Amino acid sequence: MNGHAILYTGVTLAFWSTILIVGICYTIFDLGFRFDVAWFLTETSPFMWANLGIGLAISLSVVGAAWGIYITGSSIIGGGVKAPRIKTKNLVRYVSVTQRIKIYRILVKVFSNSFSGTTPETIGARNYQAGYSMFGAGLTVGFSNLFCGICVGIVGSGAALADAQNPSLFVKILIVEIFGSAIGLFGVIVAILQTSKVKMGD
Amino acid sequence: MAESRIHARGRLFSFILLFSVGLSSVNSTAQVPLLIWSTDSLPPLASPSAGHISSDQELAAYLRPVFASGRHTVLLFLQEKLSKDDLTRYGGVFGNKQDSAFKNLEAALRSSSSVTFPALEWRSPSAVTALLEAELGASPVLADPDTLSHLSIDTSVNNLLLINLPYCSDSLKSCKELLHDNDEVLGKVLSVVQTKGVPYISIFTGQQPSRVISESAVPQEKVGRSLLQAVAADVKPPIVFNSTGNPCIMLWAQNLNVSIPGTTGWTDLAAQTPNLTGSACSPSSSQLVLRYPSGHVLSFSMSQRFYPVSARNWFSLDTVELQMGGVTASYVGSRGIYAPAEYSFRCQSVNNFQDALLVMNSTNQSLSQWRLNFIDFQIQGFSLNNGTNFSYASDCASFFTPAIWMGLLTALLFLLIFLYGLHMIMQLNTMDRFDDPKGPSISVPQSE
Repeated sequence: MNGHAILYTGVTLAFWSTILIVGICYTIFDLGFRFDVAWFLTETSPFMWANLGIGLAISLSVVGAAWGIYITGSSIIGGGVKAPRIKTKNLVRYVSVTQRIKIYRILVKVFSNSFSGTTPETIGARNYQAGYSMFGAGLTVGFSNLFCGICVGIVGSGAALADAQNPSLFVKILIVEIFGSAIGLFGVIVAILQTSKVKMGD
Repeated sequence: MAESRIHARGRLFSFILLFSVGLSSVNSTAQVPLLIWSTDSLPPLASPSAGHISSDQELAAYLRPVFASGRHTVLLFLQEKLSKDDLTRYGGVFGNKQDSAFKNLEAALRSSSSVTFPALEWRSPSAVTALLEAELGASPVLADPDTLSHLSIDTSVNNLLLINLPYCSDSLKSCKELLHDNDEVLGKVLSVVQTKGVPYISIFTGQQPSRVISESAVPQEKVGRSLLQAVAADVKPPIVFNSTGNPCIMLWAQNLNVSIPGTTGWTDLAAQTPNLTGSACSPSSSQLVLRYPSGHVLSFSMSQRFYPVSARNWFSLDTVELQMGGVTASYVGSRGIYAPAEYSFRCQSVNNFQDALLVMNSTNQSLSQWRLNFIDFQIQGFSLNNGTNFSYASDCASFFTPAIWMGLLTALLFLLIFLYGLHMIMQLNTMDRFDDPKGPSISVPQSE
C-alpha cells in the first residue's frame, strides 16, 4: 500500500469510528434526543450558508476552468512543437468558460443587504431561505462549471491534436465543445432561477 | 526452660511498666542540666536512663551525704539560662573540638571527679539555690573573678559562692562568644580558688531552661487523615410541591433574581421561603405558584404531550409569570425551556434580557423594564418517581454550540478541498509513453 492509500484509509477509519462510537454512546444513554438536525439548521447562521455558496461557486468554477486549460494547454504545447499554428485558435475558447463566473454579480446583488436578528424568530424565514438558496445556487453553478471545464478541456485537447494533424478538422470538433459549454450554461441559468426571488434583509 | 520463659515475660512486663512510667514522667519537660565536679572525690551516681528527668528529691538525696561530711565550699555557677541544647550546639561535639565554647568546663570535669544530672526537673529559678542553701545552711554570697581574689574563704564553715553568668540576649555579641566569655569566667574563678588552695565542690547549672520543648503524651488533635479541601457548604433543599403525598413539582435555583423598576437593584426570591398555595399537578400539566412574603408571586406553568416525530413525551415551561402589586408580567419559555418528560431541565442562566430563554408575552411598554435572572435553575414538573431527587438534568447548553458547528463545517470543507488538490498534484507524472532514448531526437522548426 502506498502512502496515499494508508492516509486515506486512516482518515476514513477515524471518521467513521468516531461517528459510530458517538452514536452508540448517545443511544445507550438515551440521549438520542440531543441529535437535532432542525436545531442545527435553525441555529447556524444563514450568512454562513450564503457565503459558502458564493465561495464554492467561484472556487469550483475556477477549478473547472483551470483543469480544462491545463489539459488542453499541455496538448497544445506538445502539438505546437511540430505545428505552431494551432496555438492561437485553441486558446480563444477559454474566455467563454470564465464568463460564467459572472454569476457572482447576481449573488452579490442578493447579498447586498443584511439582517439584524439574532434568534431564529427575529431572523425570519425569508433570510433562512436566502441563505439556503444561495448555498444551493453556489453549489449548482460551481459543480456544473467544474465538469464543463473538464469536459471542454479534454475535448479541446483532442481538437488541438487533430488540428495539428489536419487543419480542416478544427471546425467540426468545435461543435462538440459547444455541447460541453452548454452544460455550464445550464448551471448558470438554474442558479439564477434559484436566487431570483431571494432577498436578504429585515 | 519454662522458668526462663516466665522470667523473660516478667522482665518484659516490668520493662513495659517502667517505659510507660518513664513516658508519663515526660509530660512536663522544663529541665535544666546540672554538672557537679569537686576537688575531693564525689560518690558515684547511677547514670539515669535516657529521657529520665531527675527530681529535686533525687538531687537532694545525692547531695545530702556529700555535704554531711565536713565543711564544704560550694561554687555555684548559675547561668541565666541553660539547656542541654546549648552544650551540644556550642560544645564542639560534632567533631569540631576546637570550636568548643566550654573548654575550661571540660577540663575541670576531666581533671576532677564529676557527676552530671543531664536533666533536672525545673520548677522555679531559685530552686537550686534554695536547695543548696537548705543543705549547707549558708546563704549565698555573690562573687565574680575580680572580687574573689580579694575574698578570703573561711574553710571552717560551709560557704556558698554564687557566680551569675549571663545568657545570650539580643546583644551585639553572638551566643558563642558570650558562652566562651562565661567559660573564661569559670576558668578564672576555678584558678583563683585553686591558687587559694581551697577544696571546693563546683556546680554548673542554669536558672531556667533556655529551650523548652512541649511534649504531650495525649494527642490534642484528632490523629488521622482528612480532606484538605474546604468543607462543602450545605446545599439548600429544592422547593417541592406535593400532590397526594408524593412530590410532583420540584424547583431549585441558586438565585431567583427579579428587578422591578421602582425598587432598587435585584431581589433574590430564593432567599425567602415561598408559600405554594395555588400550585396544581396533573399528568399533562403542572403549575407551581410561589407566593413570597415580599409580595412577589412567581408562577411556572409546564405542559407535557406526545410528539409523534420523535415518538416520545416532551415537556416545556410554557409561561413564567411575575406578579407584584397587582401588575403581572408574563413570559413565554416554551421555545427554549424544554426536555423529554422523563428528565428535568437545567440551565445556568434563565433570563429575559441576555440570550433570553424567557420572551415577553405582551407588548406593554411599562413592563419591558422588568428583569428576571434565574441562576443555576433546575425544574421538573413530571415523572418524579424517585422521591426528592431530580431525574437526569437535560442541560440547556449543548456539547457543540452553533458557532462551533459552523466553524467545523467550514473548516472541514476547506480541508477536503485542500486534500483533493494535494492528491491531484501528488499524482502528476511526466509522460514517458513516447520516450525513445535510442531513437533520433526531434527537430524543432525555427519558423512557422
